Amino acid sequence: MLIKRTDAGIARRGVLRSFVAGSLLMPGILQQLLADEAGSSSPTDPLAPRSPHFPAKAKNVIFLFMTGGVSHIDTFDPKPKLVRDVGKEVKLDHPEIRNRPGYEHIFLKRPQWEFQRHGESGTEVSSLFPHVAGCVDEIALIRSMHTDHSNHYNATLGMHTGSFNFARPSLGAWVSYGLGTENRNLPSFIVIAPAQTYAGTQVYASDFLPGAHQGTPVVPGPEPVANIAPPIGGRRQELELEAMARRNRRHLARSHDDPMLSARVRSFETAFGMQMAVPEAFDLSRESEATLALYGLPRGGTQGFAWQCLVARRLIERGVRFIELIDTGSSGNWDSHGDMMDHERLARNVDRPIAGLLKDLKSRGLLDETLVVWTTEFGRTPFNNRADARGREHHSWAFSSWLAGAGVKPGVVHGETDEYGLRVARDPVHVHDFHATILHLMGLDHKRLTYRHGGRDYRLTDVHGNVVREVLA
Amino acid sequence: MARSPARILGFLLTGCLVVVVPVLSARADDARSEEFFESRIRPVLAGTCFRCHGGQKVSGRLRVDARESLLKGGESGPAIDVNRPSDSLLVQAIRRRDDVSAMPPDRPLSPREVDDLTTWVNAGAPWPKGSAGFRSEPHWAFQPIRMTESPPARDEPWIRTGVDRFIVARMKAAGRTPAPEADRRTLLRRVTYDLIGLPPTPEEVKAFEDDRRPGAFERVVERLLDSPHYGEHWGRHWLDVVRYADTAGENSDHPVPHAWRYRNWVIQALNNDEPYDQFIREQIAGDLLARTGPPEQAARRIVATGYLAIARRFGHDIDKDMHLTYADVIDTVGKSVLGLTLGCCRCHDHKYDPLTARDYYGLYGIFESTRFASPGCEPSQMPRDLVRLPITGEAAERIQRIEAERAAIDARLKRLEAEQNGEITALGQAMASSADLLSEGQLPDATSATLTPVDGRSLDGRPVKLGEVIQLSINPRGNHGADSTLVELEIAEVDGHRRRWNVADLVNDLTAGNPHSDTYGHAGVWSFLDRQDGPRLLPESLQAIDGRRELHAWRQGDTPSVFVNTSARPVSVWTTLPARRFFAHPGPRGAVSIAWTSPMDGAVSIRGRIADAHPGGDGVGWRLEQFTSSEVSRHLAELGRRRTGITEALRRRTELEASRPVEPVAYAVAEGVPHDTRLQRRGEPADLADAVPRAFPVVLGGQKVRATQASGRLELARWLTDPANPLTARVIANRVWHWHFGRGLVATPNDFGTRGEKPTHPELLDYLAGQLVQSGWSLKALHREIVRSATYRQAASSSEHSPWYDAFTRRRLTAEELRDTLLAVSGDLDTRPGESHPFPPEATWSFTQHAPFAAEYETRKRSVYMMQKRNRRSRFFALFDGPDPNESTARRDVTTVPTQALFFMNDPFVHARAARFASRVRSAAPTDRERLNEAYQWLLGRNATEEEQAEALAFLPEYSALLADRPEPERAAAAWEAYARVLFGCNEVLYVD
Repeated sequence: MLIKRTDAGIARRGVLRSFVAGSLLMPGILQQLLADEAGSSSPTDPLAPRSPHFPAKAKNVIFLFMTGGVSHIDTFDPKPKLVRDVGKEVKLDHPEIRNRPGYEHIFLKRPQWEFQRHGESGTEVSSLFPHVAGCVDEIALIRSMHTDHSNHYNATLGMHTGSFNFARPSLGAWVSYGLGTENRNLPSFIVIAPAQTYAGTQVYASDFLPGAHQGTPVVPGPEPVANIAPPIGGRRQELELEAMARRNRRHLARSHDDPMLSARVRSFETAFGMQMAVPEAFDLSRESEATLALYGLPRGGTQGFAWQCLVARRLIERGVRFIELIDTGSSGNWDSHGDMMDHERLARNVDRPIAGLLKDLKSRGLLDETLVVWTTEFGRTPFNNRADARGREHHSWAFSSWLAGAGVKPGVVHGETDEYGLRVARDPVHVHDFHATILHLMGLDHKRLTYRHGGRDYRLTDVHGNVVREVLA
Repeated sequence: MARSPARILGFLLTGCLVVVVPVLSARADDARSEEFFESRIRPVLAGTCFRCHGGQKVSGRLRVDARESLLKGGESGPAIDVNRPSDSLLVQAIRRRDDVSAMPPDRPLSPREVDDLTTWVNAGAPWPKGSAGFRSEPHWAFQPIRMTESPPARDEPWIRTGVDRFIVARMKAAGRTPAPEADRRTLLRRVTYDLIGLPPTPEEVKAFEDDRRPGAFERVVERLLDSPHYGEHWGRHWLDVVRYADTAGENSDHPVPHAWRYRNWVIQALNNDEPYDQFIREQIAGDLLARTGPPEQAARRIVATGYLAIARRFGHDIDKDMHLTYADVIDTVGKSVLGLTLGCCRCHDHKYDPLTARDYYGLYGIFESTRFASPGCEPSQMPRDLVRLPITGEAAERIQRIEAERAAIDARLKRLEAEQNGEITALGQAMASSADLLSEGQLPDATSATLTPVDGRSLDGRPVKLGEVIQLSINPRGNHGADSTLVELEIAEVDGHRRRWNVADLVNDLTAGNPHSDTYGHAGVWSFLDRQDGPRLLPESLQAIDGRRELHAWRQGDTPSVFVNTSARPVSVWTTLPARRFFAHPGPRGAVSIAWTSPMDGAVSIRGRIADAHPGGDGVGWRLEQFTSSEVSRHLAELGRRRTGITEALRRRTELEASRPVEPVAYAVAEGVPHDTRLQRRGEPADLADAVPRAFPVVLGGQKVRATQASGRLELARWLTDPANPLTARVIANRVWHWHFGRGLVATPNDFGTRGEKPTHPELLDYLAGQLVQSGWSLKALHREIVRSATYRQAASSSEHSPWYDAFTRRRLTAEELRDTLLAVSGDLDTRPGESHPFPPEATWSFTQHAPFAAEYETRKRSVYMMQKRNRRSRFFALFDGPDPNESTARRDVTTVPTQALFFMNDPFVHARAARFASRVRSAAPTDRERLNEAYQWLLGRNATEEEQAEALAFLPEYSALLADRPEPERAAAAWEAYARVLFGCNEVLYVD
């Protein structure tokens, strides 16, 4: 191999140089990559970096999505009255119990975990998230989230695309469309998920936005990105690419330097770079024991949320614009109808890795330019049809999400739910508001980030959305 | 009387706003001044308010185009009250006061604009004299098609078809000249991909190059239009527009196993050059046309309505979200046929086009009156309302014969059952009148009892006559459900032959009959009776119970029954049944009886024991009786004969059903319950306003559905294709142009509204649309008009489109063309039409949002036949800008990303095709030079140049030298495979000039 491995922390420019420095072939690669680096780009390049609408601190996003509906009242939204009034019957016209046999009577069900104040901010977090609790001073917690639908599929689609029924571009695709990307050796939008969440590929699709903005799915494991490992590599592949490049350059000259053709010639050079950049980005062998311990990742591990989080940090370092980490697929997730104690298993999978990610980003100075988002599709009911029921149902009226990092006001709690965590009592934040706020933190005005399609200008927030100013630094 | 759409359009439609500004004299900036009005007021009224109040729309019946209009006001009353200016609705609305609708609804006016308007109203809203109102021009797309004379011929020798006159006129006006004609090879490759989506074969290239007679190109065009691959390629274009998919798109993405019939219908209709108006009518109302049309067309016409049925489904329980499915249908009909974004009117009147929510719900009623085939969903897995397709020919005759025989059998069954009922009644009476009770008792749970005589009776030495009946009945007691009862019963001849009749003898062949013969050869000795509704023979014989083949039974439903364990071992089922025994199980409402008909005159002794074989229930009771009337056995025998007749008839009926040819079903629509629907405010199905009559949008004529007993689809189909409706022909003519040139004359083929692009060549568009209608809506005639033109035959110079068409536009292969090309050149393409997909059988479906349908199916058929999922898009199609199966795709994007390059470099599909291509090329010729030409012919339709030869001949040994450790044949093969990948990756292959 001609690749010179790099030490963590070396500037990306150096990384790029080192990939191609040893290669005497593929003339133009180095020049092209460095040219891209410098910001020059062809007008045909949909991923060319673009200026935000207004200056913003956040350059990149790590979007942590917990599949299945995390219970707010057992995690980030303490409800002492729910403990006191356990077993009390309540009357509600709730979408999950309407016309449902056996749910004619519903009773308050107490949270199963204790809450404590943490950090200087004193934000209360339950014992399900002991490590994240240690980071509350970095976090702007929103306890007044609400959404439109109590079906997984629709709520998950809504949280990702702003549309609860129709296929629309995903948040990550919008950010990629708005800002382009800086490292052309890696996709602008990467989704790392062990399995597909609800609504399948629609959650990271570009839909009517140009296909370059669609999420590249990564499945944790030995070959995370499709077609990244050459079945025939090394000198043989270089010979092929060289022969192809020679033919294509000649064809290009005959074709009046058609920009579409030259873009494709360049795409092979970039792909060649990706073959090295991607495995390098996913290679954790140079990470220190201390770093691995921070995330709780055993040496050599290639799966689990710890792996996903550590890879996310490495992708951030390498200039990937939007990274989504999904913890579980559409089954075996936070959907604890049967027994809330299953939340423990799921929280354990993500708690230390998330805290590790926040600390690691902070210690490397990356939290100043990275926005970290934590959310789920909806909360869970503070009641069930028996006071001693072990599980909780879907709850779209209220749930908790949080933001941390660049541009976020740290250590605040925004909004609150009523005494039982049923409804938002103050400062409601709808999914559209949440999206507007994320875009705002990226320097994008959600009303100006539009795309003309089928005769109208579409935006992520449709005709809704207000930026939640209270969580901005 | 239906009004002519064109005439209505003439005065209803408005479009581009023209503001007539009078000459102004500069005066003081005073609220009463003309300048203030023109510079501060008019721009707001015209630029912001007029859009909804007086342009193409008059929301709330308020117009803002004149002072009088404002004073008169709309539905909410006067907009301006000069006496109380600050209370004026207009002022309240722009100040966004609580009790009035804030205006403009989407965003507030700037504070300065609000101040200006307020000042102006306070000043009495002066409208300067001589200042015109606002005028608007009609929107082009709604105007009748005008078949203008072709522009005078310029550059006569260049011109080949009518198209060229329009193109050259515009080109010359812009001071540009046509590009030279593309060379023959380029032209052949272009037109072949364009019409059939595949590269020309080397033979086709040679044939074209050798055909030096005039009209060679035209002959190629005809060959391609006649190819079955034409429909596959152009059918795919249409499938893009109608967002075709093989799954439903609801939360669990159910497969739609019969959707393929619609897909193939599209392909076939295009191959047949079905007139486009008929093509549309069949998709909207084929089932209704089938009723009156020729019978042999009926099936395909029903299939055509798959256009509607393949609409996307939504949510968990799709029946609850049908309003979204109707929205999807209206959106697709609007875009695909009319080029209008009708879907926008679900929640409100169209913001830009003259379409209203009433128009939307007028159409909605038509579709809500239609029954859509249902794909199934999580709470209700099975599809329903699939439409059975009529069949013709030999199969139809067979079905007719089968139907006739089945009718005869049914008649016989009816007769036998009536006779049987008579016998049952008679038997019941005979039994009741001649019963002599010998023994009875109750058997508590988990006990056993020996038969003992009741007072005054004996079980020993009882005289019996031939035909008398002795019967043991087991009755339910309390909970019948756990009452499997072991029965031991022996009837022994006292003198004479000393024969013995024992139920244990039935263990070997219980199911041989009911009535059942004895071991001495007498027929009909044993009978097993259901006593719940009169004594009837247990009708059903079973060779296994719960899958246990040791257990045989006679039964009626689950119970009552008699059964035996034939095995030498106990069998564990719901209870443990001891070996080689006879059991009885009463029914929930009555006894089961074992009747013995005496085959002799003499005397018998009766011994018996019954035992609860399934402890845990309530036990049973028993009765042992002797019937002295000979009527009992006579009726039993008659009953047996009827029973045999019925069994035989039912068996034959089942046989017939099995031999019946399977009648295919389609995922299609049928008529539902005709009704008008109520307008849904803001698109909320729970917030209903008044019913809206089913109708065509007002702007297109506003015809109302008159057939009260029908959905109105048939009328809709006719309105859509009425030549007086200018949109349908324009929209498809533009699409065809778009698919040939990569850009439409209207660059937004799904949007001909005011937000869409205007045509670059309006006269040409009308010429093509007019030609289309005049040719009898022949799309193939339209292709000829276009591809034979000089415009089409120009050389390409760029992938950037020239608005003057002074060159051809280079284009990338589509995802389908790319895949099909790699399969074709490597000899792997299966060119037969695809049919259904190997979906799992419906009975096994249990898809959920947690575990949705997610299979992938490999095929070597053309890409149009690949299974397309809605919720999990195939990686390949996502990578190469394939169609969106969720929404009408008017044009494919072309993105160039490095992950596509990775596909060419490393994907197993490319490597496999390269290996096959290399081996095909190598076996075709002995020398590398010839092989190279072969390879170039397949991929590029030409020989390799000297330079390419030299490069390749250097590449092959250099590559193979890297494999020094491998044997020579392997090295050569590997080098050729590598070179195949080099060629596959070339821009010259991926792009069409």
